[in-house]
Amino acid sequence: MRPEADLANRNASVRSAARGWKKAGAIDDAALSAIENAVPDDRVRVGPVFRVLLFVFTLITVNAGYGFVWAILESAISGRDGDIFTVLAFLAAAALIALTEIQTGRMRRAQGGTEAATSFMAVGYLLGGSAWTAFDTLSLPAKTAIPLLLLLGSALFAAAAWRWGFSFYAALSAAALLGALAFLPGARLLWIALPLAATPVLLRLADSVWHPPAHRSAAMAALIVGLAGVYFAVHLASFDLGLIEAIPDFKGFLRFQAAPGLRWLSIAATALFPVALLAYAVRSRRPLLLLGIATAIASLVTLRQYIHVAPLWVVLTLSGAATAALALGLRRWLDSGPARERMGFTAEPLFDDVSGQRPWRSAPPSSPSRPRRGRMRSRASRAGEGSSAAGDRAARSEHRAPLLTRAPPFNSL
Amino acid sequence: MNTDVANAIPRLVESGILPPEKASVFLRDARRELVSVRLELRFLLYLGVLLMTGGVGVLVKENLDRIGPVAIAVAIGLAAALALGWVWRTAPPFSRGEVASPHFALDYVLLLGVLLAGADLAYIEVQFTALGAAWPWHLLIVSLLAAAAAVRFDSRVVFSLALASFAAWRGVAVSLFGADLWMGGTEAVRWNAIGCGVLFVLLGFALKRTGKKAHFEPVAVHLGWLLILGGLISGLGGEGGFLYASALLLVGGGLAAGAYRFRRFPLFAFGVLAGYVGLSRFVVEVGEEMLSCFWFFSTALLVILGLVAAQRRMKEPL
Repeated sequence: MRPEADLANRNASVRSAARGWKKAGAIDDAALSAIENAVPDDRVRVGPVFRVLLFVFTLITVNAGYGFVWAILESAISGRDGDIFTVLAFLAAAALIALTEIQTGRMRRAQGGTEAATSFMAVGYLLGGSAWTAFDTLSLPAKTAIPLLLLLGSALFAAAAWRWGFSFYAALSAAALLGALAFLPGARLLWIALPLAATPVLLRLADSVWHPPAHRSAAMAALIVGLAGVYFAVHLASFDLGLIEAIPDFKGFLRFQAAPGLRWLSIAATALFPVALLAYAVRSRRPLLLLGIATAIASLVTLRQYIHVAPLWVVLTLSGAATAALALGLRRWLDSGPARERMGFTAEPLFDDVSGQRPWRSAPPSSPSRPRRGRMRSRASRAGEGSSAAGDRAARSEHRAPLLTRAPPFNSL
Repeated sequence: MNTDVANAIPRLVESGILPPEKASVFLRDARRELVSVRLELRFLLYLGVLLMTGGVGVLVKENLDRIGPVAIAVAIGLAAALALGWVWRTAPPFSRGEVASPHFALDYVLLLGVLLAGADLAYIEVQFTALGAAWPWHLLIVSLLAAAAAVRFDSRVVFSLALASFAAWRGVAVSLFGADLWMGGTEAVRWNAIGCGVLFVLLGFALKRTGKKAHFEPVAVHLGWLLILGGLISGLGGEGGFLYASALLLVGGGLAAGAYRFRRFPLFAFGVLAGYVGLSRFVVEVGEEMLSCFWFFSTALLVILGLVAAQRRMKEPL
């Protein structure tokens, strides 16, 4: 990511938080305006509706433009459709990369829709051209071409996420990598081992003060896809049906032959993975709770598939009642805690909630984390501390550094 | 942890922009020392409602012979009454304006109650054929019941259910009884969708104008316009395609212009997309590949330029 885009990304993160504070009524217009002056944003951004519209119409423009040029060339040079398509796809990709660079560079666009569309289509055309080359020009068999294309897609999306800061690309990159791994021997083991090995790195990256918020989000997106992949690999139904092993054969489900001991491991992992993930999400307060809940639901559905404990309507009704009761119980438990929170969790909306409620007022003055001004400043000096040791080191060194070095979030204070 | 915000807050305090007593709460949020699980709890509640409703559906389907229709109807009715009774006891008094919910489960229990009541009505209708040949009218009853509950208990979710049930009533009724009376089943359903859409838009306008449950207006207006534009788009492929395309172009353009004036961003998007689809229908009809590509390339480019200019004036919040 360009240094100026990095700085803008950090400042946008602060401005976004400030808008949340304002929406919650915690600060007034004057304070918001002062914050926006303190963390200037030189990027050209548009709101979500315009972003979607611009994205859609840029996609139409790019593809129609490609189709128009292709149609002209096809009529001029007959009989070489494949070559025209491939060369044109690579040329279009190069042009789109240049366009994206101009937009994110000289035009200072971010969250603008058009640069997202051109970057997406750049990767799309590179992949399209490569696919045509692999299948048509080189006549590679599908079993060779598809994993190579998936690997290429993973690398391209990772590079795009890194350069242009779209976290969605990081998720696509992780998914494509898992797809490529499915073609290797021992794919299931790789689906488990690789994401787990990458987890500490991605977690550190997600908290790193050295990286812009976009890269941190990208790391978290890749982690979520990776963990979903791990769950899919250890899941009992996936194990029994050999779903990962079936990917390269394109034959649908197959009965997976494996040692019985491994099946017991899969049963245990199907039950324990959601528990472990939920426990980790609660302990670390990372945004993995929804993934934990989703895997827990999937495991419970699997249990019902394998063990008929009761008729379906009983299971549905009771599990529905239990789910609702769990939500209500948790809410009551959290509300009954001091300052309506327990273990660092609250059921009250915080500042990124758009409901317009005013959660900060619900925190009583006696809240232990509401220090006096003097103490505030001493705590403030530790504000950059991360949970990890690396984060701590990074934060400390940044506080020693002058404000205008190493992409600080504040360039004018 | 949002390290940039966590780093920024102390500096904002030091520069006097943020008062320290508020900054401490912001800091805890940024450092993830305090995390809201509101979204997750709402998701669990909604899931619970869906599972329970699904369980009732399966119960009705699988155990009709064993339990008997009366027992099932009474049981579902009781469950619905329990849910609605709790809502009645918990909800604050009626107000014409927006009411703050006293309990975070209120909306979901109300939705459960209305869905169960609707399922009970449908079951009674299927079993005892109380309405006879006019059975689609039970959808209207559900719609009215849901609308009454939505207004009384101030629930936008249930209000959208009421509108959807109303539209379903028109769709079912027309497809059953209107086909012979009018231009054929599909055409009649289409015009009923458009009619429902117009009605919803007018309803939204009236709500806003009178100030009674004015916060329901976006629900009615968005659903209304979706029905109108969807109805017109569904006619593009038929014999009168050009007529519908012209109507879509006019209506979409008008909607975009109105939305632009009143800064209604989603409606602006509906209008722009619908107008573009209507306009493009004329070119697609020609079927010439190069011309179509050129058309989409140049017009989409023009739309982009128009959108860039429009967003500068509308200034949609980020």
